[in-house]
Amino acid sequence: MEHSIRDDGGATVVELAGDVDLESSPSARTILLECVGNGKSVYVDMAGVTYIDSSGVASLVESFQSARAGGTGFTLIAVSEEVMRVIQLARLDKIFTIHDSLSAARQAGD
Amino acid sequence: MHGDTQLETAGGERLAESLELLADMGRDFARSLDIEVTLQSALTRITDYLGAEGGALFLLEADETILTCQCCVGAANITGLTLRADHGIIGRCVQENAGDIVRDVTDDASFDGSVDTKTGFTTRSILCAPLSVKEERIGAIELINKNGGDGLFDDNDLTLLQVLSSSAALAILNARMASELVEQEKTKRELELAAEIQRSLLPAEPPGPYPISGLNIPARTVSGDFYDFFELDDGRISFCLGDVSGKGINAAMLMAKTASLYRCLGKTETRPGKLLARLNEEICDTATRGMFVTLVGGIYDPKSMTARIANAGHEPPLKRTPEGLYESFEAEAPPLGIAVAIIPEDGYPEFDIRLDGGALYLFSDGVTEGKLVNGDALGADGVRKILDSNADMSLAKRLQSVVAGLDRGGDLHDDITILGIDSRPEELGAHQGGDGSRAAKPIVPRLEYAIPARAARLRDARHAVRRFLEDVGYDGTHVPDIVLIIDEACQNIIRHGYGGDSDQWIEIAVALEVTGLVILLRDFADPVDEAEIEPRDLDDVRPGGLGVHFMREIMDEIGYLPREGGYGNILRMVKRATEN
Repeated sequence: MEHSIRDDGGATVVELAGDVDLESSPSARTILLECVGNGKSVYVDMAGVTYIDSSGVASLVESFQSARAGGTGFTLIAVSEEVMRVIQLARLDKIFTIHDSLSAARQAGD
Repeated sequence: MHGDTQLETAGGERLAESLELLADMGRDFARSLDIEVTLQSALTRITDYLGAEGGALFLLEADETILTCQCCVGAANITGLTLRADHGIIGRCVQENAGDIVRDVTDDASFDGSVDTKTGFTTRSILCAPLSVKEERIGAIELINKNGGDGLFDDNDLTLLQVLSSSAALAILNARMASELVEQEKTKRELELAAEIQRSLLPAEPPGPYPISGLNIPARTVSGDFYDFFELDDGRISFCLGDVSGKGINAAMLMAKTASLYRCLGKTETRPGKLLARLNEEICDTATRGMFVTLVGGIYDPKSMTARIANAGHEPPLKRTPEGLYESFEAEAPPLGIAVAIIPEDGYPEFDIRLDGGALYLFSDGVTEGKLVNGDALGADGVRKILDSNADMSLAKRLQSVVAGLDRGGDLHDDITILGIDSRPEELGAHQGGDGSRAAKPIVPRLEYAIPARAARLRDARHAVRRFLEDVGYDGTHVPDIVLIIDEACQNIIRHGYGGDSDQWIEIAVALEVTGLVILLRDFADPVDEAEIEPRDLDDVRPGGLGVHFMREIMDEIGYLPREGGYGNILRMVKRATEN
């Protein structure tokens, strides 16, 4: 799994790419928790994610809960159909804040 | 007179008490399954009842040369102590199979004081009785130092001890027989399971006329012979027939290994000579010393009606032309498992056999060396005679007829395995009313894959499953779901079965049956308790629980196959085919 982190207007955008599975989800978790821990809103760009499993979803959930506890934003953007399917299976599609793009998210005030 | 009556009454009471104790103990022995606990409590009661300071129960070990203390009562704990069975007073009691009172040990030359030295206890007098049933010696019970009175045991004590000992001896014998029976049952069930696993390694018979057919009849529960065939992508068929040296469970295990290896390596290595060379390397590397496998392996091309084969020390395959002429092909190379160095660089020698309307037969030596009912050996000639007289039967029936003539009653000599390749299957036999249906209907498409139980290898499994499902044209919308749940199921095995990354294997089988997709996952971890596999609430999203939730959402059936005899957990999941 690859990742990149950039700053965009005071928020952090984390791009994830590749498979987020049992092997790589621990590092996804570390990265996301660290970004959330910095106190800025986090946007997770999932456009490049080719596969996600329960361990990957759990990493997202943990970071999301951490952001909520800290009062900062946590948004998923550009989620593909396959990844969305897994999030829906986990019944988390109504829990996460999900948008097609960063601008759409900002427009919606997230 | 008065004194006599008192004595009499006392004696009568004592007798009644003794009988009650006997009856109680008898009941305990009959009831209990835990012989050790029962013996301890019996010994305690005997020791108390007879008023001894201490007591010990000794059992003879296997070769009857050692007595080991099974349990004891009193100040000195000597459980586990061993004595020579011909040593000491108790040794004498066992050897002579007779009870004894030794009133004063210092007068008895047999007394062995070394135990007292070790335990710090002082033995003054001994009462002992053998544990035996008829002539079978089991051990002895020994009581030490009578409390009270004159400190001596009397004849009544001895009689009572002897009776109690007989009862205990019977109980011990019964318990031993019962546990032997349980062991035998267990072994029987393990062999049956091994046989089942072996049967599952044999290919399913395709429906309809097909160029290849095989038959395997083990002599005992498990077989050292096997055969296999499977289609390659281009319609050619890979086949083999092998025979493992030796008998019993070791041969069966090597058979299963060789058969699996052949199928696994044979999917990509389509040159028989090279394939056998690779098999040879694997078997030399890992098989028990001294075991070897004779094997014929090859590729049959139904379009050109030609088989290319390599023969590692096996019975010569037999070709029969449509005109009834025979030709056999001797092996030019040794069996698999002897040594790697003796095989040339480019593998075992290969040769082509053109069938041109004829048929090719492979046998294990259980066929040619098998006995007919009249006692004669079937022999190569006998096989040819049967094939001649059954030439117009279907391939499967022909194979059955070869085997039918062999005497399989009584003590069977060897496993029987036979494989036939018929280049004109659709012309023969009463199948489907002879409507000339085309040959080679495909067998149920099946993926067999295995990974070491490591997170880093899950990606390989995902790719293999995805590729297989795409190849067989499984509904595209469901492919990612299936890949996901196989991944999740493997994760559970890694996490809960093996406790983390492990070099042990996870075996994955996916079959596209008419009724739906059947997935089997096997691991070799400790038995799973199915009641503990519960999906978590979504509030408690942890990787393991969420995975099980996915599995239940996507699959129609999930369950563990019954586990017996230590062959791993097999998880079975089914997604039923939908009506269109």
